[in-house]
Amino acid sequence: MKRYKKEGKELVDSMYRKNERKWTLKEKLFLGLTPQQYMAQALRNPFNWILAAIFAVGIPIILGRFFFGLSWVTHSSCDYPWGMFLGFGLFAMVPLSSSGFQLGTTVEVFGRHDFEPIERLGLLNGLLGYLFAVIYLLVDLGQPWRLPYPMVVSFGPAAVLFLVAWHVATYLSVQVAEVSSAFFEWIGFPVGKRGVRKITLGLTVAGIILSTLHQGALGALFTYAPGKVHPLWYSASFQWLHFFVSSLPGGLCMVIAVSTIAVKTMTWRCDDRFKENLDRLTISLAKGASMGLATYLTIKLIGIAHDNEWEYLATGWGQWFMLEMFIGVIAPLVLFAYGIKNRLVGVVRFSAFMTVFGVVLNRVNTAMITFNWKLAEREIPHWREAVISLTIFAIYIVVYRFILYRLPILYAWKTADELEPVAETARTAKAYAGEERLAVGTSYKTNEEASFQ
Amino acid sequence: MDTGFNWVKPMLLMIALAAIPSVSLGAGLPDRIALDSLKNLYDSVQFNHAGHIRLLKDCAGCHHHTTGNLVEDANCVRCHQNSSETKVVACRGCHAAQPFSAEAQRKKQAEMKLYHQDKPGLKGAYHLNCMGCHQKMGGPTGCKDCHPMNKTGEALYNTGSFAPKKTGKAAKEH
Amino acid sequence: MKRRDFLKGCMLCGAASSLGLPAKKAWGSGSFEGYSEGMGVLVDLTRCIGCRSCEAACNKEQKLPEPEVPFDDTSVFEEKRRPTEKAYTVVNRYENKGGPVYRKIQCNHCNEPACLTSCFVNAYTKTKEGAVIYNPKVCVGCRNCMIACPFNVPGYSYSSATNPVVKKCIFCYDTRVKYGKPPACVEVCPQEVLTFGHRKDLIKMGHERIRETPDKYVDHIYGEKEVGGTGWLYLSGVPFDKVGFDTTLANEPIISNVKDFLGTVPMVLAIWPALFTGFHLLSTRNKGHDEGHGHDQSKSTREDSDNEKI
Repeated sequence: MKRYKKEGKELVDSMYRKNERKWTLKEKLFLGLTPQQYMAQALRNPFNWILAAIFAVGIPIILGRFFFGLSWVTHSSCDYPWGMFLGFGLFAMVPLSSSGFQLGTTVEVFGRHDFEPIERLGLLNGLLGYLFAVIYLLVDLGQPWRLPYPMVVSFGPAAVLFLVAWHVATYLSVQVAEVSSAFFEWIGFPVGKRGVRKITLGLTVAGIILSTLHQGALGALFTYAPGKVHPLWYSASFQWLHFFVSSLPGGLCMVIAVSTIAVKTMTWRCDDRFKENLDRLTISLAKGASMGLATYLTIKLIGIAHDNEWEYLATGWGQWFMLEMFIGVIAPLVLFAYGIKNRLVGVVRFSAFMTVFGVVLNRVNTAMITFNWKLAEREIPHWREAVISLTIFAIYIVVYRFILYRLPILYAWKTADELEPVAETARTAKAYAGEERLAVGTSYKTNEEASFQ
Repeated sequence: MDTGFNWVKPMLLMIALAAIPSVSLGAGLPDRIALDSLKNLYDSVQFNHAGHIRLLKDCAGCHHHTTGNLVEDANCVRCHQNSSETKVVACRGCHAAQPFSAEAQRKKQAEMKLYHQDKPGLKGAYHLNCMGCHQKMGGPTGCKDCHPMNKTGEALYNTGSFAPKKTGKAAKEH
Repeated sequence: MKRRDFLKGCMLCGAASSLGLPAKKAWGSGSFEGYSEGMGVLVDLTRCIGCRSCEAACNKEQKLPEPEVPFDDTSVFEEKRRPTEKAYTVVNRYENKGGPVYRKIQCNHCNEPACLTSCFVNAYTKTKEGAVIYNPKVCVGCRNCMIACPFNVPGYSYSSATNPVVKKCIFCYDTRVKYGKPPACVEVCPQEVLTFGHRKDLIKMGHERIRETPDKYVDHIYGEKEVGGTGWLYLSGVPFDKVGFDTTLANEPIISNVKDFLGTVPMVLAIWPALFTGFHLLSTRNKGHDEGHGHDQSKSTREDSDNEKI
């Protein structure tokens, strides 16, 4: 894509081409390139070949899982009913998706509009994370076609999973609605966008509720197995709090991680507003993540003290626990502090990747590695299970990239008013950079708003 | 296929019928007793009564308080010191063949004040009595040491002619 | 501020919270002591000789697949087994000072079963007879019950592609216990290791056995109090942890661990909407209602008119 941009190819970033003609849907899908050009750039990208290799192996295995049953792809046994699909796919993807509600809250509820350049990335990251957590779940469920049962057929309201099911389902809809404004811009349906705009606050607040509850609920699922989860990863009173609080830095750091990857690998798609603001936003997000990590460390220690589990720290499991805490919490905290103080974005980004890894490790530890710690045998996932997990993650990346390439996530959709007066756009960007707040009551307003004043 | 065994059942029945009256009347000691409460799974046990008498000398060794040396257990003596021999000494006289049936449960509920609530059923009584002693005195303790298994039993236990065919694939899939 | 939008937003919050409302009921459920007429089985491990008849009877009664080795083969005792989708009950052997001790394992039919309370489609039922039964028709296959079961009992037919279900001992409910008959394992047991009766009577009976022969038994009935009490109760002559029992289980039912969290649910549902809407009003109040969103509707006037033309 870089090459095409250099050649002066026109990219889709508004409804209109330079010659005032509207982009067709096909053109939009091909990013304003011809199909031939599009294919050429796709084939040039070595990452696509890696993906193709993964799909070539993984897709048949995913299909095979539905023909030959779970025992063909997993080592899930009666003692270890949950394997990688849930341990990694569900329990790790969901906390990394808490970015949606956090950035939504920051911008819409707290009115921090300086976070706007990255708000949509946060929302999309949330939506896709949840969506693929559900896809992992569908692969893992014995009878995935019955997934709607807890909603329509038979209710088990005393179960934490009942809450999770309802909350994930409603929250997914909320997130679809939140992200849909970007889609409506792209497809050219402003009525829909305005409809969503009107209920944004409601959606955001609903998002906070649902997120708080089911991030915690995923933790609470493990309080059903007090003897099976290792005491260092278990806390009857605080389990849900541990999961909820660790999801906060997890989600923020995931946004830092994704934005880092995006700005490095699809620079052409990021507009100046995004690029100029990213370093500042990264530092801001890192500040938030540090707060979350510090809180998490504190309540983790309280959890250990509350149940008096210090003696376990001296065991092998204890060392593993301390390693997890060091890699995922303490080291990132120190690096964040150093990086934020000296405004070293690189350090902050590295630390964010570490945090993401730490959150994943925590979930995998809780659900798989330390689960059934009293049993002699550990469950080693089947190679097909690993391949499926990898394949779904690859699909996740492809979908993520597909959307980032097209929808106005990393760039602002230029509307007709903006296309001609270039100075205006520059001024807006400047305003976003935080140098000056956009003055109220300039030409940058609708008739509707003007009439309100 | 079954023809070879058709004669067994009537035969057993005859032995059983012959055994019951002599035992329950207490008139004369039967030398052999056919214990057939498991006859659906096992051939009946040809219990060598005479042999056990010779070995143990004391009837109360098996018949606890019903015949022979009466109550000796210090705990039982308190109430049963003067209890006499019972009319019925056969195991099945006291121990019910169906101790857990709905009817037995109802009866138990009706007699909640009965002290000896915890009385094993007939099969339990046989085995607890025999096995306890056999283990101590080195008697046979394997199931088939006392009663050979019949076809129904083999089917239940998936053994003998009903043994699972061990093929690698079947073992893997089932 | 568009007052109307704000109200709409609040209504949506309300709608979202009412969707989550069933959760409240869960919190309200108190502890359950079991049905007074519930049946149970007293398992006296001092009597068990490891003949595996119970396994055989269970296999036939529940029409389970053919075993890998005959039921009179004692080589299975060389490893510790657990109930699976192919065997609802198994007997394990534990070497102890006084000789081997055998222990039968099956579903303990808890008074307040963890499988039941963890199931989000309510596939489990505790019947008044005390059996914990399972409805394969609604099971989604999340296997949370297997995670939750403190005794590691439920098995899952992973090998079925089209209709995998949870498989566990159902106390022979459909074929026997419902009609007042004892389960197949109880009926077949030669040693009367298994005594079938009303749970409350069995507890008395167990304590009576301990009282009458204190040298023979450990003074504890496993299952009388564990995880809120179980329908199946165990007497043992050796300490329970020596025969594979988890002696670290609490006396509270598993669901009581979860209540801390369930308790927060209605709170969050009730408080969050008001709290965060309040935050919003506070933090946006002085900004002149500019609503200066980057992806704002303000920019779409021309497109609107275009669309109208179309």
